[in-house]
Amino acid sequence: MDDAALESLVGTFSREAEELGARVTRALLELEKPEGSDAAFGAAYADLRRGLHSLKGSSATVGMAELSALAHQMEELLAARPRTRPLTRPVVDALLSALDTGLQWLRARADRRADLPDLETACAALRAASTEAGAEGARAEGPAAPNAVPDAATDAAPIDAPIDAPADGWWVDAAQVASLTGDVERLRELALRLEEQSREVARRLEVTPRGPAGEPASEVRGGLLGTRLGLSRDASEAAELVDSMEECLKAICTLPFRTVIEPLHRTVRDLARRLGKEAKLSAVGAEAALDRRLLDRLRAPLVQMVRNAVDHGIEAPAARERAGKHREGIIAIRVEQVGNEVFIEVSDDGAGLDEERIRSAAVSRGVVSAEEAARLDDRQLGALIFRPGFTTRATATGVSGRGIGLDVVSEAVRTLHGRVEAHGVRGHGTRIVLTVPAELGSSALMVVGVGDQVFGLPMYALRRVLPAHASRIRGGRSRLQLEHEGGLLPLEDLGGLLGIRQPLSPGEGQPILVIGAEGREVALAVDTTLGDRSPVVRPLPEEVRHLESYLGAATLSRGEPILVLRPSWLVASRSEEAASARRVLVVDDSLTARAVHRAVLESAGYTAHGAASAQQALEHLRNGTYEAIVCDVDLGEGMDGIALTALARARPELAGVPVVLVSSHDQEADRRRGQEAGADGFLSKKDCAAGMLLSEIGHAVARRRGKA
Amino acid sequence: MNATLRHDDDSALDEILERRAERARATTDAGEAEATLPVAEFTLGKDRYAIPLSALRAVLPLKVVTPVPRSPVHVIGILRYQGQFLTAVSLMTLLGVKGWRQDCAVLLIVELEGGRRMAIDCEHIPRIEALPQRTVDQARARGSGPVHDVVTARLETVGLIDMSQLLARGAGRSHG
Repeated sequence: MDDAALESLVGTFSREAEELGARVTRALLELEKPEGSDAAFGAAYADLRRGLHSLKGSSATVGMAELSALAHQMEELLAARPRTRPLTRPVVDALLSALDTGLQWLRARADRRADLPDLETACAALRAASTEAGAEGARAEGPAAPNAVPDAATDAAPIDAPIDAPADGWWVDAAQVASLTGDVERLRELALRLEEQSREVARRLEVTPRGPAGEPASEVRGGLLGTRLGLSRDASEAAELVDSMEECLKAICTLPFRTVIEPLHRTVRDLARRLGKEAKLSAVGAEAALDRRLLDRLRAPLVQMVRNAVDHGIEAPAARERAGKHREGIIAIRVEQVGNEVFIEVSDDGAGLDEERIRSAAVSRGVVSAEEAARLDDRQLGALIFRPGFTTRATATGVSGRGIGLDVVSEAVRTLHGRVEAHGVRGHGTRIVLTVPAELGSSALMVVGVGDQVFGLPMYALRRVLPAHASRIRGGRSRLQLEHEGGLLPLEDLGGLLGIRQPLSPGEGQPILVIGAEGREVALAVDTTLGDRSPVVRPLPEEVRHLESYLGAATLSRGEPILVLRPSWLVASRSEEAASARRVLVVDDSLTARAVHRAVLESAGYTAHGAASAQQALEHLRNGTYEAIVCDVDLGEGMDGIALTALARARPELAGVPVVLVSSHDQEADRRRGQEAGADGFLSKKDCAAGMLLSEIGHAVARRRGKA
Repeated sequence: MNATLRHDDDSALDEILERRAERARATTDAGEAEATLPVAEFTLGKDRYAIPLSALRAVLPLKVVTPVPRSPVHVIGILRYQGQFLTAVSLMTLLGVKGWRQDCAVLLIVELEGGRRMAIDCEHIPRIEALPQRTVDQARARGSGPVHDVVTARLETVGLIDMSQLLARGAGRSHG
């Protein structure tokens, strides 16, 4: 093989070597545990030997004789060791140090840097360790050493057995995967369009008259039938393709969380030793498969959290024993994906959060005043530790004290549009919980209707659906409660909660959903339940991703986006929202017109509710009270604005509510008709743009009040 | 070549050469003046606006937009386009409700710096026009806002929109 060909293999080998390095590290840390079983030691030794052997062989193949020699020397250090005993710390240290040097050498070599670490020195250190370990081993292990023979578990696995993933996989460029993901989404849209076209043809079939065979009408029907069948078949096939490709993409785009956790064992071990502490890491849920991009972005924050736990949380062994704890501290990582949210909890059984130190550090660093510090509750104190520059250390050490650490966590989580919270009890440990949206994955949703909109609600948060009965609803109009299973739950109107309309008291038989999240429950009144679906839920676009109310969006079968509600937002205890009592109902079939009116009205302190049709407007007027109605003359299909005005004027309960008609066309005939119907004002949209809407509403309200 | 002219009247030759040079310079100046910025131009009320054509990805009818309750006032809603969820924003609201003649009927899908896409509303399908690059540069040099008034060759004013800036201003208002 020529030099150029060898060079091209270096990049590929570097990635393989990093994985081998992780494998060797994992095995070494396993072999360092004194409490391991014979079988566990046997398996770890086998893994270690295979890893080193692969490293030796592969580096030789790509012409890296120096690295191959280092791997050989590491094998030599292990050669005489019994396979059923743990390795001593000095041996593990020597091997880890050699591995680190080898990987640094490889990275420098791959980057074509001149500052290559000296591998010969590393080999010499291993030879020296080998001699010492041999003498020590002979002393410590006594007669067992000569009899120590490789056990069955070790020998069963041939040393040249292929390693797991890299051997039967290949490297894929992330940009290509992202592009493929986009293509799958486009194919999904195509499938949806085909479905829609099939439905459209079916609608046309229904209105096409049947005729005798041979007649043109009959031929048209036959043609339409064939087209509908073809479209329907193609839509199904395309949908199947999308599902299958999405499954493949999920496999490509996800990795077990353990790939992030494994290197942390070494982080905890090394840092604890450096600080004279004893600590170990345990993980729950490490097999959960998560999006690689998410994992990549979580690596640095997790390292920081774990380092922080060792440095700030875990006490020195003597202090722990005095406090009645085991001398070795535990740092636990728990991972759980619920629907489209990933929860990562990093906890330790260390000293906990020292509230007084946090308060005084916050005051001394000028983060808050002494009075403010005294008023901070637990949650607010927990939030302080994520502030940039915040530290409780008086002086910086090599590990901490610069106030750069947890703010890295906070910043990374913010970039991921997630949340972070810290909880701790002095003397009893600290718990930091990250909640980040998962990029991939379908989620079972209950689809509910409110007004003319539909929303998705994650099924994992849905406890029950029940019909409303007046006998079970307590309280006044502003604060309702539902009697449920012997207790009282807060009862909210989803439309009111979202600001779509004034909060309604549910009518008899109206669906009520009991939602649970974060240990709280709430009853939610909706207009309709439309069944469950399992669409892929994706994060919202950047401009609206900050909205706490939504987890993301999904696509329903007709291709329209549906907003997915965030259960934790629904159950959050909220003080009565400061919605203005000055409400205006905007009736316009144009989305943009409603947006423009809303902008103008909200700038003047009004709360604007929108209705796209006269029908919806009547619904709003039936259930709420408004200071004024702003209504477009032309409302598309159905009743127009003038007819709606006449209807409103005929209702005594709306006698005090002025109607201001708005029209794109400033026609005298419309003005006259509007006046005759009882409108209080008439503006062209040009007048609205000129800022006359607010004054017109003001005058109309004054006139109505005057009449009253 | 005219030998008589060469020998008898060098000054006349100089004059001819100078005229040729002038013509050549004039041609070069005209070439520079012809440098243009292709734009998608549309009206909003009485005013004319434009966005660089290079940023325009598609023109869609304004439908299948899902309103997002609790969103900033300039957000009309979200829509799906080529497998992505995009935000549709009201240009009129962002521009401060300048002019309103008819309701918007189309959405322009635009691509901002960094490949981020979004949709803006528009009264009609925009016209493809070319703005003189020189006047565009002058307008940009005059101010740093999100809309630059560019004077066209027909002495009409077109507001050239810098979408990234305009959106940043909208986001700033809604968050802050």
